[in-house]
Amino acid sequence: MPPLLRLILWRLGTSLIVLIGVSMLIFAIARVIPGDPARIALGANATAEQVEALRARLNLDEPIVVQYGIFLRDLARGDLGVSLYTNRPVTADIAQFLPATMELIVVAGLMMVLIGLPLGALAARYRNSWVDSTIRVISLLGVSAPSFVWAVILMLLFAYFLPIFPIAGRISEAMAVPRVTGFMLIDTLLAGRFDAFRNAAAHLALPAFALALSGIGQAARLTRANMIETYDKPYIEMAQSYGFSERKIARSYAFRPSLIPSLTIIGLDFAAMLGNAFLVEAVFAWPGLSRYGVEVILRKDLNGIVGTVLVISALFLIVNMIIDILLAYINPRIRHSTRPS
Amino acid sequence: MTTLHGSLRAALFCATALGVTAPLAASAESVLRLDEVPVGQLDPGKASDYADSILMFNAYDTLVLPVQGGPGMAPHLARAWEADGDSWIFHLRDDVTFHSGNPMTAHDVVFSLERMQALGQGLSYLFGVVDSAEAIDDHTVRFNLSEANSPFVSALVRLPIIDRALVMENLADGDDEMGDWGEAFLAANAAGTGAYTVSAHNPQEETMFLRNEDYFLGVPDAAPDRVRLRYGLEAATVRTLIATNEHDISSQWLPPEVLRAIGNAGGQFLTETSAGAFYVKMNTTKAPLDDVNCRRALSAAFDYGAIMQIIAIDEGVAQGTPSTGAIPVGMLGANDPDAILERDMDAARAHLAECAHDPADFTLEIAWTAEVPVQERFSLMMQSNFAELGFNTEIRRVPWAVFTDLATSAETAPHISQIFANAVTGDPDTLLYGQFHSSAAGTWQSPEHLADDEVDRLLDEARRAEAEDERAALYAQLNDRLMEIAPTIFAFDRVSVFGASNRVAAPALSDPDAAFGLDGMGFSFRLMDMTD
Amino acid sequence: MKRTLVILLRNPLSAFGVLLVATVVLSALLADVIVPFPEHRGAVVDFANFNQPPSAQHPMGTDLVGRDLFSRIVYAYRISLLLGVVVLAIAVPIGVTVGLVAGYLGGRVEYVLMRLTDVFLSIPPLVLAMSIMGVLEPTLINGMLAVTAMWWPWYARLVYNLTRAEREEGYVLAAEVLGAGRVWVMFREILPNCVPSIVTKMTLDLGFVILIASSLSFLGLGVQPPTPDLGSMVADGATYLPDSWWLTVFPGLAILLAVFGFNLVGDALREILGADQ
Repeated sequence: MPPLLRLILWRLGTSLIVLIGVSMLIFAIARVIPGDPARIALGANATAEQVEALRARLNLDEPIVVQYGIFLRDLARGDLGVSLYTNRPVTADIAQFLPATMELIVVAGLMMVLIGLPLGALAARYRNSWVDSTIRVISLLGVSAPSFVWAVILMLLFAYFLPIFPIAGRISEAMAVPRVTGFMLIDTLLAGRFDAFRNAAAHLALPAFALALSGIGQAARLTRANMIETYDKPYIEMAQSYGFSERKIARSYAFRPSLIPSLTIIGLDFAAMLGNAFLVEAVFAWPGLSRYGVEVILRKDLNGIVGTVLVISALFLIVNMIIDILLAYINPRIRHSTRPS
Repeated sequence: MTTLHGSLRAALFCATALGVTAPLAASAESVLRLDEVPVGQLDPGKASDYADSILMFNAYDTLVLPVQGGPGMAPHLARAWEADGDSWIFHLRDDVTFHSGNPMTAHDVVFSLERMQALGQGLSYLFGVVDSAEAIDDHTVRFNLSEANSPFVSALVRLPIIDRALVMENLADGDDEMGDWGEAFLAANAAGTGAYTVSAHNPQEETMFLRNEDYFLGVPDAAPDRVRLRYGLEAATVRTLIATNEHDISSQWLPPEVLRAIGNAGGQFLTETSAGAFYVKMNTTKAPLDDVNCRRALSAAFDYGAIMQIIAIDEGVAQGTPSTGAIPVGMLGANDPDAILERDMDAARAHLAECAHDPADFTLEIAWTAEVPVQERFSLMMQSNFAELGFNTEIRRVPWAVFTDLATSAETAPHISQIFANAVTGDPDTLLYGQFHSSAAGTWQSPEHLADDEVDRLLDEARRAEAEDERAALYAQLNDRLMEIAPTIFAFDRVSVFGASNRVAAPALSDPDAAFGLDGMGFSFRLMDMTD
Repeated sequence: MKRTLVILLRNPLSAFGVLLVATVVLSALLADVIVPFPEHRGAVVDFANFNQPPSAQHPMGTDLVGRDLFSRIVYAYRISLLLGVVVLAIAVPIGVTVGLVAGYLGGRVEYVLMRLTDVFLSIPPLVLAMSIMGVLEPTLINGMLAVTAMWWPWYARLVYNLTRAEREEGYVLAAEVLGAGRVWVMFREILPNCVPSIVTKMTLDLGFVILIASSLSFLGLGVQPPTPDLGSMVADGATYLPDSWWLTVFPGLAILLAVFGFNLVGDALREILGADQ
């Protein structure tokens, strides 16, 4: 079996184990959060008998191991149960809200890579010049405030004082297009509406940029630091002495190895965005999963909590798996590692 | 002459142009846009809060409606009704059809009641007194009550009539012989007779309504053709959208500053006085508040004037009116509107002197609802008020869902908590029973965990009494008793204020003679006029 | 040490950073002396002066109960800095050790440690915090514990990846051939090469810790009013945009400037330390 394929299978296997671990932990945690889910769901005026009846229906009176067994049985059928908060199947809720969050995070992630890495490479190549200093200030400012603060500042500047961008939502009412994938950028294109696409992109710009800013700064700084370190390595000096062009050296020898730590951070940042997205979603009234997640936690909606956490965990694991595989692809030493891993 | 001629021609041209465009403008759809807090519960059997009420009162109808601008109930789906011993007989209209086209009959009424009782959620407790309902014929229905109950007729404003046939076609599996009672179906679809149909519903995001052209009372032309009700918009967003004419009516949950900003930006205020009040609840089982004198000391030290300053929005507009006692002005048993409560530090000190506890021994926990930011200011005000008596306090922000849970037990209920409550049917019974009767202790409405025999007796008697003046006298006694044992600081009578654009006129939310006196009923879209 | 400071101050950017950090730390320490209204850090209400825009008397305006915003921001620095420093001081050593051990030793140890890290990483922080709140009293200390519990896995993941790359480097193999012990190799050979990335992440994280703390206080855990807290001020003030912009802009800038200062210094330090090796 080719080593890369073996790595992929290996990572898939471990991801599954982690997911099972997460499901057990979150199952237990959800039951530690104070409050009786049946009482909260039924509202204040429900009688004790009604609460009891709902508890029985939710199997809350069974031992936790039995509850977990029931949960696994349902999960095998693709059923995450009904949310006590929205009274709909949790899978339907997640299908509803996940695309909006994914769209935000994917665009922010792209911004992070497409802006952050080139900035860092540029700074490393023109090290200690004004270019370097400017990029340094920009990227440090970017990482110096949490995305929520950036969201508020960007909104104030570019939606209120200079009304260039819309202040809330995913698309203007007049531009609404039928939902196909749930990704507004894709759905507008599918509908063949370029005006709607531009409108959706304008809605997306500020929240995605606010979410990406710290990642951009972080990616730029790490790339710069690592490239500079690589520049000092003997093989670069050798390449320089052979008279290779600076451009070729930057691209082929310095940039590639310095991607390793940058990619690691980007993978982590991508996952962190799932958490930060909540605050950004709140500021821009973005109808995403993060907001749903907080509501279900507050209402102690057990099925909602477990379902949301599992989906976020799965996303996180997938992203990290991709990063691991990319790392292995870039760095032959990991790929051909002789040590057990 | 030529110029005059030219002007005339120009004027004529304009007129023709107007003549051409005017019908076009009229045929364009009028859209009303508003927002509420999530989640929008479309199932009428589970409806309980304001957003749910808006959904229910537009998609469904009830047998009776509150009289606009006055007390009592007016006919709606029911033409007439009469008491028959402990039961009530209702005669229904025979010209009403559901959105599905099915005719509305007595069987639908029976089904709606049975479903409400079987689900046991939302406001179903209002119908605990009903033993059974039976269809005497297609258009006559009888409710058999277990005992005489005066608030029953007004409770019917919370019994929306559901399309039985449609629900039966869409029954899913459940533990009952009625399957899931249509829970899955009604969570996403409306099956009513209402003036608006629901064309799309997402409980966290938005509900879209369309005008029901076949409504049995007809829907006026000026009423909106479409309505978009969005959930969970940020205050700052709503404020800006209204200023740019992209939004029409805000929720009532905005802080006073934001409402003021909407007014300053050219918007208008809509108000609803709905028989409710703002209450500062004291846990009567926790020292030092288990001593009535300590509670009375806090009540007297509370700055009733300053809180009115906090909730003032504009000239003549505020989120409340001064409190006169335990029962809001305008309700049975209320005190004279001019006898408003005022801060009295001398009385507070006198009460404190008689309290068995030393304030220095305690730190009072003041909880405020995280979702209602103005309560933080109330808390800070109380903190400084009570400090003058020597009480240490600690302010704690508690999300609503957590609070409803803390309230259930006397040990976890905070010393002091803050709620808005109102009479869900307009009857004082629904405002006071759930808050102060010992059998209802330990809900978000009753974190006092009060157990007072006198209060229980008065509440029970007022519920059974039939004559209006007899009930008024009982509630007046109850008012005095509650002021005497002070489980609660009766801070102010609640007025719901909504920020709105000038595109909409809503008499039921601005003209006292058209007001329903029932939370959410003012949002009957058919009674609103779109002015542009 | 003295030499480091001299180098720091020679570069105008890092000198500016030092200045910012010094200002923030000193004002937090000397808050009682420098702020115009020290009593406004508590439960003062002054309804005659509420929600005022910046003026000569109140340079950053007043909040919704009439307290001087400038005074509250200076006091908020105290609690926010303390929180950030304490959380990182606990979380970083734990995470770094886990990452080093897993990355260097490999095998079963790596498998168990990293899967554990993954499990922690993939549970959203709010859920973790709520469950901790369910078991413990909602105090500031426990709030810090909750933040720490959600922070260490990030460092474990970072250091693990770095270690895995480093352990194949020539210098590590050389040390091993020369008979160096595992602990020596991990902490004396590999760790120094990870320091730049760790320091970078730490300076970046300071702002996030401040913010996470504020979302905890929203849930009723951690800093409670009337104690001023920068994150909560930004979050609560956002409701009143754009009219009462000062309620959220000044606390936001306060976070930005403080963390920017730390970042400038951290960045410069990293360069200097790196050059010293």
